[in-house]
Amino acid sequence: MNYIVLSLILLAVGFYGLLSKRSFLKILVSIEIIATAATMNFVLLSSSLSKTLGEALLMLAFSTDTCVNAIILSLLVITAKRYGKRSISKLAELEKTRENKRRDDE
Amino acid sequence: MNLIYELMVTGILISACLAVYLEEAIYSLISLTTMLILTALLYSMNGAVYAALFQLMMGVGALIVFFLLSEELTEKSKDKNTPRQILLTIAISLILAVPVTLFSAEDLIASVSCDISLPSALWELRGVDVILQGLVILTVVLGASIILYKKEGRK
Repeated sequence: MNYIVLSLILLAVGFYGLLSKRSFLKILVSIEIIATAATMNFVLLSSSLSKTLGEALLMLAFSTDTCVNAIILSLLVITAKRYGKRSISKLAELEKTRENKRRDDE
Repeated sequence: MNLIYELMVTGILISACLAVYLEEAIYSLISLTTMLILTALLYSMNGAVYAALFQLMMGVGALIVFFLLSEELTEKSKDKNTPRQILLTIAISLILAVPVTLFSAEDLIASVSCDISLPSALWELRGVDVILQGLVILTVVLGASIILYKKEGRK
């Protein structure tokens, strides 16, 4: 059952990337790694039990994963086109500046 | 067979670490591709051929979009990784691969429990996992709607 340890380490690597990197694309890569770590459990545990339901669950998990990717990619495209920013921290600065400007106006 | 498995696990971990660590988007995506291909090979070695095929198909589809996006949208990174940093990342991922090849959760569980094996216990309890995932998603949706509601109220 080394797969569980492998999946845990992959999950930790994905979480590290998710928390430490600011670029949208890096966040997407980290989410992909986390999704792979999660689906790995389904497939490898079910194949060790000689059950094929795990493969079916993997396909469902992949479809959810694709939806998540599509949402993040659309966010990336919108922010890149509207603000010209590709980093979460820059977006947060932009939001702070807008908030301050609105307060000044009030 | 065991050696191939260990090499594959090490390869998966090295490519995952490089995918997160490398600054250049293209190199990072190449590492992610390697990781997905090695994962598909691991699935096929364990007899889950359909899962491996599906992983390859989905991985290729998603990665083509990622490549196009990284070419179109991302800025060229100014700070590049030095070979020393890359070697350090590979060394860290090799250290991470050690517990996977040496440590077995089955032995640990067998020392404390009973008749039911770890895979079957996890498999039988997957319903609990699905309910917990549902709870997490519900909490996230509630949190997001509260934040949006507050923002609307402020406007």
